[in-house]
Amino acid sequence: MNSQEVPQSLRDIFADTLEIAPEEVTPELDGESTENWDSFRHLQLILALEGEYGVQFDPQQIPELTTVSRIMTALASKGATL
Amino acid sequence: MLSDPQRQELRARIKAAVAARDAAAVMKDCRELLTSGKPADTAFCGTSITQMAGALVEQLGAKRLSTYLVRSVTVEPMLPALTVEAALAGYVLDVQVGGYGSYMDEMLNPQSALAQSGAELVIVMLDLEEIAGQLPGLCADGRGVGVAEELEQSVGRVEQMLRSYRSRHSGRLVIQGCVLPEHTPLGLVGDANLRYSLPNTVGELNRRIASLCNAIPDCVFFDVDQVAAGVGRGSWRDTRLFLASRLPFAMNHFNAYCRALVRSFSVMFRAPRKVLCTDLDNTLWGGVLGEDGPNGIATGSAFPGNCYLSYQRYLKELSARGILLAIVSKNNEADVREAFAMRAADLALTLDDFVGLKISWGEKSEALRELATELSLGLDSFVFVDDNPVECEAIRQCVPEVAIVAASVEEPWTLVERLSAEPFFDAAIVTEDDVHRSQEYKAQTKRSELEHSAVNRDEFLSSLGIVATFVDALDAPLARSVQLLAKTNQFNLTTRRHSAADVEAFARQEGGLAAAVRVRDRFGDAGVVGLVLARTDGDVCTIDSLLLSCRVIGRGIESALLAFVAQDAVLNGATVLAGEYIATKKNAPCATFYSDHGFQRRPTPGEEGSVFYTLDLKCNLPHYPNWLILEGMQSNEFAGSTAITT
Repeated sequence: MNSQEVPQSLRDIFADTLEIAPEEVTPELDGESTENWDSFRHLQLILALEGEYGVQFDPQQIPELTTVSRIMTALASKGATL
Repeated sequence: MLSDPQRQELRARIKAAVAARDAAAVMKDCRELLTSGKPADTAFCGTSITQMAGALVEQLGAKRLSTYLVRSVTVEPMLPALTVEAALAGYVLDVQVGGYGSYMDEMLNPQSALAQSGAELVIVMLDLEEIAGQLPGLCADGRGVGVAEELEQSVGRVEQMLRSYRSRHSGRLVIQGCVLPEHTPLGLVGDANLRYSLPNTVGELNRRIASLCNAIPDCVFFDVDQVAAGVGRGSWRDTRLFLASRLPFAMNHFNAYCRALVRSFSVMFRAPRKVLCTDLDNTLWGGVLGEDGPNGIATGSAFPGNCYLSYQRYLKELSARGILLAIVSKNNEADVREAFAMRAADLALTLDDFVGLKISWGEKSEALRELATELSLGLDSFVFVDDNPVECEAIRQCVPEVAIVAASVEEPWTLVERLSAEPFFDAAIVTEDDVHRSQEYKAQTKRSELEHSAVNRDEFLSSLGIVATFVDALDAPLARSVQLLAKTNQFNLTTRRHSAADVEAFARQEGGLAAAVRVRDRFGDAGVVGLVLARTDGDVCTIDSLLLSCRVIGRGIESALLAFVAQDAVLNGATVLAGEYIATKKNAPCATFYSDHGFQRRPTPGEEGSVFYTLDLKCNLPHYPNWLILEGMQSNEFAGSTAITT
């Protein structure tokens, strides 16, 4: 799969927060294998997503949102328009 | 509201500007993109600004500061907002973040990461839990049992922390207070009425930390509660993320918080502006004097006149704390004088409240230049208030150093708010000298009248009856000495912006000298206006800093400062006096100071393009100008006798 499967606004948020190229943001991108994706960037990412799409995640769920595809699913279930 | 395509467009422009290393363009587009209020845009701007850090310093003159955050809360997600707000205010921060639980150790331990960082700016961000964790329990019933003791101990711990750091380091300190808590068991009424309710007690804690900061050199209190109250305390904290991740406040307040934080530390790195030049028509009063006549202009207690009256009152208050007021208006001066006389009862200001009147049909930029010369102040200490966009634009182009506040003709009630939102008059301290500044400038006018009538310079200077009083720089008071170091631009030989701790070091170490001079004459008291820092090592005394407020240049005070340091040097066994001149954009007035006083220029320049000079004290001891009356530490007779024995 490739980065075109991630909507542009979402791709930008990942790229800006994790300081990686937008092309690297594929649905499979995950915290384990991405060096910059540490716990602080994770929180920063969650805050950026909440601010961008006007949603709030359950704190219990936040630590599990460790791949782009899981985040896309979570956003969709909150009714966010990507 | 920016649309998504507009945001994309701005991002593309910022990327292009970063690639082209165009700092001004990056900042301009970031400013616009940030209006989206989206955290993703703040992060994007933060990254772009970080990539441009060097260019911001080189092209826009931003100040680079190594910064250390001492914290007990999660600050990392806020860092992009801090980068952005700092850059908007002209700072590039190189930030290092301390450990969560190690704040005490960092401040107290001489080997800590903070101690080794050599940070120029240290920001202490603690939560109520760390500062005074017992208070919520003790204040639960509002009766106050044990509260005084806990307050005492809490403030004591903060004091120990700050003083311990200060005793070893000179980094400027900012400590933030606590936000007054909501959701307490006493509820709205109990919180308000009970002396020891938690909000009342935390308010007192904040005030005590603030007065503590006042007593510690280079330390400023940051009132985070004021920021929280400004946006609404109810929405300040995102309880979910505070409890889950120790995020101290909600993400949508990051920018407001960082803006206020930057504003707070700025007072320790930047000189405040000193002069406010106001337009008259549709600014100081409503309507146009030339068309509406003195009785037709709007001012006084009824709307809309009271909008202008509140602005006048605000100016009067600024003047009381030392900001100089001037009128810059296109009008007939006789009409203006008539209006001030006829409408005196409806105006909060009289013409006497202004140190300068520039009422003519000439260019306003020219008027500002004239005022700068008359007041001996740089244009970068001027603020210009005018309702006319064409006038504002002309000032922006002709004298870009001047700060501009646009008054709105349609919404005259907004002007005080607009003015107070600007940081340019901010100061953590107001000295005696500030308060008397306006009178002193008036006296200046009288002096120049006398100067025109006197026969020659010496006779004129003798007729002023100038008294120079030398005092220890620590007793000037110290805050004034540091203020002089921070603010003096024109007559400042090295422009080293030393901190209070640096001045203390000069005063206390062997062979060191830190002296200030206070000047008064028959027209008024100029206050403490000059400073010299020097150090004698072996037979050479080196002048580190010598500066004089531009208000008193040309009255021999600079020569007296030199004579003072020379005689102190001789007492300390020096035979050579060494001086240094570092040229800046502004200090040309003192470029020939050392050569004028008989110093020899050394052939090798210093690293920063500085020029070194030396004077042989055995044959060329500088003397005090004979028209000065000397007072204070080390009288001239005493110094004179040592000169003979050398």
